[in-house]
Amino acid sequence: MKKPKSIGAALATAVWDRGVGVAFLVPGLILLTVILVGPFMTTIGLSFTDLSYALPDRDGNFVGFDNYRRLMRDDPVFWQSVITTLQFVAVAVAVEFVLGFAVALLLSAHIRRRRVVLTLFLVPMMLAPVAVGLIWKLMLQGDFGMLTHYLRTVGLLGEQTAVFSDPDLALAAVILIDIWQWTPFVTLVMLAGLLSLPREPYEAAIMDGAGRFRIFRDITVPLLRPVIALVLLLRGIDAFKEFDKIYILTGGGPGTATELLSVYTWRVNFRDWDLGYGAVCAFMVYLVVLILSAACHTAMTYARGASGNEGRRG
Amino acid sequence: MIDDRCRYSVLVASLLAGVMLLACSRSPETENKPPETANQPAQPGPAPAPAPKVWSLASAAAPYRGVALRTIGESLPPLEAMAKLTEKFEKSTGIEVTIEMYEHSEAVNKVMLDLNSRRGRYDFILQPHRELGRFVTNKHVLPLDRFMNDAKLRDPSFKPGEQLYQKQWKEISWYDGNVYGFPFTALTMYLWYRVDLLEDPQERAGFAAKYGREMAVPTTWQQYSDLAAWFYRPDKKFYGTAIQGKRHEALWYEWLNVLYSFGGDMLDIETGSECGPVVVNSPEAIEALEYYKGLMKYSPPDTRNYFWDDLMALMQQGKVFQVLMWNDATYAVEDAKQSKVAGKLGFAVTPQGKGGKVGQVEGWTYLIPAYSKHPEAAYLFIQWMMAFEQQLEQHLNGGASSRPDVYADPKVSEISYSQASMDTMAVARPKPTIPESPQLTEILVRELSIALAGKKTPKQALDTAAREMSQLLGSCAPLKYPVQ
Repeated sequence: MKKPKSIGAALATAVWDRGVGVAFLVPGLILLTVILVGPFMTTIGLSFTDLSYALPDRDGNFVGFDNYRRLMRDDPVFWQSVITTLQFVAVAVAVEFVLGFAVALLLSAHIRRRRVVLTLFLVPMMLAPVAVGLIWKLMLQGDFGMLTHYLRTVGLLGEQTAVFSDPDLALAAVILIDIWQWTPFVTLVMLAGLLSLPREPYEAAIMDGAGRFRIFRDITVPLLRPVIALVLLLRGIDAFKEFDKIYILTGGGPGTATELLSVYTWRVNFRDWDLGYGAVCAFMVYLVVLILSAACHTAMTYARGASGNEGRRG
Repeated sequence: MIDDRCRYSVLVASLLAGVMLLACSRSPETENKPPETANQPAQPGPAPAPAPKVWSLASAAAPYRGVALRTIGESLPPLEAMAKLTEKFEKSTGIEVTIEMYEHSEAVNKVMLDLNSRRGRYDFILQPHRELGRFVTNKHVLPLDRFMNDAKLRDPSFKPGEQLYQKQWKEISWYDGNVYGFPFTALTMYLWYRVDLLEDPQERAGFAAKYGREMAVPTTWQQYSDLAAWFYRPDKKFYGTAIQGKRHEALWYEWLNVLYSFGGDMLDIETGSECGPVVVNSPEAIEALEYYKGLMKYSPPDTRNYFWDDLMALMQQGKVFQVLMWNDATYAVEDAKQSKVAGKLGFAVTPQGKGGKVGQVEGWTYLIPAYSKHPEAAYLFIQWMMAFEQQLEQHLNGGASSRPDVYADPKVSEISYSQASMDTMAVARPKPTIPESPQLTEILVRELSIALAGKKTPKQALDTAAREMSQLLGSCAPLKYPVQ
């Protein structure tokens, strides 16, 4: 017969097993509150005020949903920046994913000295965004840029055209630079995913006579779904918040051609010092990122659910 | 009866004496107000009372010995020149001066954050005068009366009412009738052109044959664009002109020269601290923007990505015939160590249009934040910097003084661009310094950039700007011209 525990022992166990665990959590929770929850709640609070560092009478009075109304009805520049941002994110992340996945497949299957190649391939990703901006600004400078010179020599760029001065080319150039910088990241993650896949399904498929494309479509992609969702989520969020390169390369111009939501939000907050309205813009960035995260989380959950069912059937 | 009469007489005499005393005295506010005479040295104001027996910097600074002052400004030759002078001040006062130098926008943003945090990191600041309204209305900066009327601090030989260009001082450092600072740099833009090419016999003959007149320094915008067209030789990587087309304050500043000389303006106002009807979409302004945009034809291909640094570099490399540029950048282009065209340049007032001969005045001003930890020591440094010796030294090393006696000095007269600078200052026009001014600038920069990018016509861009400016300023700034 099991001897019942004394109250003291039970309490000690509870404190030891649970209390200590909670105590270990406390510093992390405090840090989370201070650096994440606090600023987030402050931003939400600010979005209902008229706080401006520039104008004397606007010292944080409550204005209800006025800022939100202004955003929805009276700010075409904001909506233009939303469209530009969506174009930037959609094209950049899609191309990065396709290229990154392709390179990862190539590396996993055909490259022997993978480590050396991968290390070299990762250099752009390791550079600071400001350094990337400055390097490309010099390379594509309209008068003496090295790349500008070669593009003109081969006839891809007109003699009187400069990449960052042309409203139609500037956004495309910024997207290409982002692809150059972040494709290695996709490769790295996808390669890690590919190398961790089990060999058995592939052997079975080969035994059954499946071709390469069939194996890729029906085995590799489904097994990599959580990794794909993760990489798209990370790149999507990161691209949505892109700021440094744009600031260095174009400042949002010419006109509003490269003014992403992050640049616009920075302008409202730190050029106009209109912090109440700026909080609404920042909150909109958060909302979009939240939706993106939710979509990716759903995709990952769906993947886990699917593999679980398969397991039970097996 | 006699007693009553006596008392009555004494009372009347006292009243008369009081009135006379009042009439003879002057309020501190009146003393510090510059006279309205444009750009003429004012009559000397009375020295602050009570006057000390002998004023000296060392004795005035004695209570602040060991204090460390910190300031911030734009990383350009005038601030670098000031940095070289601080050692002299430190030796004679025992007050240390630390200077933080940043790019234009960064220097402005850092100050805004410091002022709003009320930390008092900076004991005095150097800021563009368009920021003055927002600083004053938010009570971020101190009026200087209290220092100027303090006999312990005020150097009796410092008489800004007669030693500074009054119009500049009022435009750059005054707001709503009160003095908040002294000009750090009195800036303006004027024409830089290649005098060696203008005097080249072959060029002159070719130009005369094509245009039917002698090649000369452009005084009208038509002449300016003719010269730009003549010297536009993209096959030789040489261009007639270049505009500061980047989405940056530089674009706004440059366009203002064209706007003013075409007879346009942003607001219908007399002084910078006023609010008035929005006129930025007037027919003159639209014409000015159409002309300005037209200059892109003769500019390098990357002109929509240039600001002042790029134009200066192009001139230094000898790639452009003429540009509109700042007086505080001229030093670098006339320095043979940095420039291929040093000694080959001429300088003149910006070409004129229907608005006559006009320039835009801008300036960085010394200000003392309300949260300064050592405002008195900061005042002493500023006052010392405004003295002739320091102003001359700073001006010769790339500064832009607001003291007429500096320009009269033979060493300064020899400088090739002094005359152009003075001539432009004489016709300089004020621009808004109200709290919303930086936001007005942002709106205009965006719309000008959109117009240059060809996404809107000049009229559409300026109509949008006018509507947004009117909305921002409210009832004091109705639209004077209809918008589409």
